[in-house]
Amino acid sequence: MTKIILLVEDNPDDEELTLLALKKSNIAKVFVARDGAEALDFLFGTGTYAGRDLSVMPAVTLLDLKLPKVDGLEVLKRLRAHEHTRRLPVVILTSSREQQDIVESYNFGANSYIRKPVDFAQFMEATKQLGLYWLVLNEPPP
Amino acid sequence: MMPKLDGFGLLNELRNDPKTRTISVILLSARAGEESRVEGLDAGADDYLVKPFSAQELVARVGSNLRLSKLRKAHQEEIERLNLDLERRVKERTAELEAASKELESFCYSVSHDLRAPLRAIDGFSMILQESYGDKLDAQAHNYLERVRAATQRMSHLIDDLLKLSRTARSEMRITTVNLSELACTIAKDLEGTAPERKVTFSIAPQMVVHADASLMRVVLENLLGNAWKFSGKRAEARIEVGSTTNAGETAYFVRDNGAGFDMKYADKLFGAFQRLHSVTAFDGTGVGLANVQRIIHRHGGRVWAEAAVDQGATFYFTLSVQRKLV
Repeated sequence: MTKIILLVEDNPDDEELTLLALKKSNIAKVFVARDGAEALDFLFGTGTYAGRDLSVMPAVTLLDLKLPKVDGLEVLKRLRAHEHTRRLPVVILTSSREQQDIVESYNFGANSYIRKPVDFAQFMEATKQLGLYWLVLNEPPP
Repeated sequence: MMPKLDGFGLLNELRNDPKTRTISVILLSARAGEESRVEGLDAGADDYLVKPFSAQELVARVGSNLRLSKLRKAHQEEIERLNLDLERRVKERTAELEAASKELESFCYSVSHDLRAPLRAIDGFSMILQESYGDKLDAQAHNYLERVRAATQRMSHLIDDLLKLSRTARSEMRITTVNLSELACTIAKDLEGTAPERKVTFSIAPQMVVHADASLMRVVLENLLGNAWKFSGKRAEARIEVGSTTNAGETAYFVRDNGAGFDMKYADKLFGAFQRLHSVTAFDGTGVGLANVQRIIHRHGGRVWAEAAVDQGATFYFTLSVQRKLV
């Protein structure tokens, strides 16, 4: 079974660049949610994703903090409050380096926090390592 | 003159108690000399009447003192009213300032988050053009794309520095004992690590201990030493000195280099944000470092200034006055 990545990203440029970077490193199937509400629907099989096969869960969720409708921290909080999703690996992937964002992300149970570099070469390298680590090296929760 | 407590004693007690401080007092005494009258008035009496006096004069003096007392009371009430008003206005202003500071914080947050995303797109798509469509572009087009990407990096650094500047202004100060000598040595070692091939002689005076915010002092020395390092980069044998000098009881700390220096007629521009005295091609930088240094030194109640000449090196001085407040 191929592992999937859930990318929660509202900016179409960032989405395209992240997908290109992931494609360059031949990483998995990527599913994109464009706001926090869609991400929650996908992960909980609700709304437009009602009836989705919930045995297919992402090996890692790449979560932006600033999102329309439901923001990243709220998504994280709801995932951690639910038995089905509370061990799901979540990596915060954001432009912000505000101390407060980093602290809150970890407080709410983020597994990792990565600040998107402006330099695309660095961004590709980061994405490659990220994919390699979470899809190949990391042993996912049962 | 009276038994037990004399007139002066009573006057003294009345004046020392806030409840009776404003009561009008006329001293009645048989001591008529100018010296006695001055002594009485100095002791806090409102008036001085020499015995014997006529009933008429006494009534006139009492009347005059009552009028003065009423006026005083009215003034007192006016002052209290003004004070209350002032307090209310201070509270209002404080609330306004707090709101403005919150706004600034959310602005900085947007700057860090929102300005970065388009930059990443510009850099990312430029790079994809270079890599995936490079064969369709000529050398000139490649050069332009390189420049687009270099400008993107530069803007990214500007945003970072702008955020650092706003953080300096917002962060809370924690005053402790800071050993500037040790701090300077650590920073010098870090700088040497960035370019081990350079020949730079550091001379750092020992035991310069101050009372200041440790992390802000690190920012100050990092900037001043970093500048000294940068602007002495074209010297075959660079010298960087850190020391202190005392003038009229005030200690100034300094960082001196034998580098490019600058023309003193531009000295007033040194500490402005994004002001630069050298072109980016001559010396890299965003022009935020010294603005940050100045902010930090001002927050410590100190001053910062520079002395330099073109090609003769520069010396940056700063004082810290929190030191004296603590002692």
